[in-house]
Amino acid sequence: MHADLVGLGAIVLIAGLVARLGRRYGFPTVPCYMLVGILLGPGTPGPVLIDHPEDLAILASLGLVLLLFHLGVEFPAEQVLGSGRRLFIAAGVYIGLNVTAGLALGFALGWGTSEALVTGGALGISSSAIATKLLIELRRLTNAETPIILGIIVIEDMFLAFYLALLSPVLNDSGSTADFVVDLLVSFGFLVLLFAMARFGARAIALVLNSREDELLAILMVGLVVLVAGIALEVGVSEAIGALMIGLVVSRTSLKDRVEQLVMPLRDVFAAIFFVSFGLTIDVGDLGSVALPAAVAVVITVCTNLTAGIVTARLFGFNQRAATNIGLTVLGRGEFSLILATLAIAAGLDERIGPFVALYVLVLAIAAPLLAAQSRHFARFVPDRLLRSRYRYVRAETMSTSCTHQDQMHYTETDIDVCQECVDIGSTWVQLRLCMKCGYVGCCDDSPHKHTSAHYEREHHPVIQSLEPGADWQYCYVDEILVRQPLGRASSS
Amino acid sequence: MGQGVHMQELPGIGKRYDIDLGSSTQRISVVVRQGIRDLYVFTDKGEEPTAVLELTGEQALKLGAVLTGTFFEG
Repeated sequence: MHADLVGLGAIVLIAGLVARLGRRYGFPTVPCYMLVGILLGPGTPGPVLIDHPEDLAILASLGLVLLLFHLGVEFPAEQVLGSGRRLFIAAGVYIGLNVTAGLALGFALGWGTSEALVTGGALGISSSAIATKLLIELRRLTNAETPIILGIIVIEDMFLAFYLALLSPVLNDSGSTADFVVDLLVSFGFLVLLFAMARFGARAIALVLNSREDELLAILMVGLVVLVAGIALEVGVSEAIGALMIGLVVSRTSLKDRVEQLVMPLRDVFAAIFFVSFGLTIDVGDLGSVALPAAVAVVITVCTNLTAGIVTARLFGFNQRAATNIGLTVLGRGEFSLILATLAIAAGLDERIGPFVALYVLVLAIAAPLLAAQSRHFARFVPDRLLRSRYRYVRAETMSTSCTHQDQMHYTETDIDVCQECVDIGSTWVQLRLCMKCGYVGCCDDSPHKHTSAHYEREHHPVIQSLEPGADWQYCYVDEILVRQPLGRASSS
Repeated sequence: MGQGVHMQELPGIGKRYDIDLGSSTQRISVVVRQGIRDLYVFTDKGEEPTAVLELTGEQALKLGAVLTGTFFEG
C-alpha cells in the first residue's frame, strides 16, 4: 500500500512543479498534468511512477465528477439567459462551426460514427479555464470583446451538457435501434428530472446539505455529488452529466457561494489526478501514428476559430483586433476534450482516440497562449469588408473600453421625423440622429449642415442614436466609440 | 450605480466597474473577481491600459480606505 502512496505523491508533486514552471511561461496547467502522466507512465520508456493506471481510477473519476460539479455550481444561468439574442447567435456560430468541422474530420478519419461524435465534441468545445486565465494574463478584462468571449464560453458549457446527454447512449452502443432510442430517452429523461429538481427541488436539496459548519457541508456535498453521479452512471447516463446537473441544482440554493468555495480546492487536486491519470493511459509510441490527424485537427480548429471570431465581431460591430482576440482566446482545448476522450476510452472505442486527443490538446495548449498574445498581428490580415464597413473608424479608433456616458442616455425613441434646423433654413438632410440626453433630432454628418454634431459642440451631450430604420447603433462623441449594450443585466444607474 | 460609474457583468469572472473621471484621456476600470480586484488605468486613448494592478482583498481595502479619506492605520 505504501508503495502506491509514494508513486501517487511523487507524480502529483512533479505534476504540480511542472505546471508551476509552465505557468511562468504562460502555458495552461491541464496539458502539463497530462504530459507528466504520459512521461512517467507505463507507456513511456524511462522512470515509471505508477505501473497500473487503473489504481488511480477512483480518484480520477472523483476528479471528473468534481470538475463538472463545480462547472454546474458556478454556472451563471441568469446572466447568460438575459444577455440577448446576439450572444446566442455568436455562440451558436462558434459551436456550430467547430463541432461540424470536428465531426467532418472524425468521419474523414474513418474510425467510426461514435468516434466521430467524440472527435466533434473534443474539437468543438474550448476550455473555459484556459480562456479565462488568458484574459486575465493578457490584461484584457476591460476590453470590449471580453464579455462576449466569456458569454460564448458559458454557452459552450451549457452545450457540453446536451452533448454529453446525446453522447452517452451512443457510447453505450447497445446494438439495436430500439435500445438506442430507449437509452436516448432515459438519458434526456434523467436530464429533465434533474432540471425539474433544479427548478422546484432546490430547497429540499438545501435542506439536506445545509450546515453552518464548513466541514459538514463539504462532506454532505461530496457525498451527494458522488451519489448522483453514480446513479447517473447506473442508469446509463454518464457520471459527468449527473455531476454537472446536481451542480446546477445546488447553484439554485442559498448555499451556492459556500459550496463553490469549498469545492474549488478539492476540484483542483482531484482534477489534476484525473488529468495525470489520463496521461498514464497514453502510450508514447502511439502518438506518432496520430500525428497527422492531430496536426490537421489543429489547423482546422485555428481556421474555424478565426472565422467564428470574425462573425462574432461583425455581429457586435467590433474591429479587426477584437475579431482575432475572440477567435484566438477561445482556441485552447483542455478539460472537456480530455473528459470526452476518457468517456470514449471507457466505452471501448477506437484506441487511437486517446492519443489523438492528447496530442491535439497538447499542441493547442502551447499554440493558444502564443497566438492569443500576438493576435494584433493577425488582425492586419482581416479585410475591412468582412466587418461592418459603414463604421469607418473601426480599424483606427480605440474599441477597448465601453462608453462611460451610458447614464446620460435618457431618450431612445422620438416622434420627430425631420431635422428642424434644416427645415428652418430650407435645406435637406440624408439621415437623422437623436440626442439621447435631451431628445434633440438633427441631421447626420453626411448631410450638408451636420446639425447633430453642431448640437454636440454647443451642448456637449455625449451620446447620439441613429434614427435610420433598422440601424441599432449609438455613438458617443466624448469617447469616440460605439456604445455597446452591456452584457447581462443593465446597470442600475 | 452612482453618477458616472458603470457596471458590467463578466460572466464567470465577476463584475467590471468603469469610472468616468470626467476627462477625455483618463479612465479607470476596476474588475472585481472573487476577492481579487484588478485596477485598470488608462491615461491615453490607446487600447492598452497604462497600468494594471492586481490587488488582494486586503490590499484593496487599504487602498480604498486611503482614497476615501478614512483615517487608516496598520
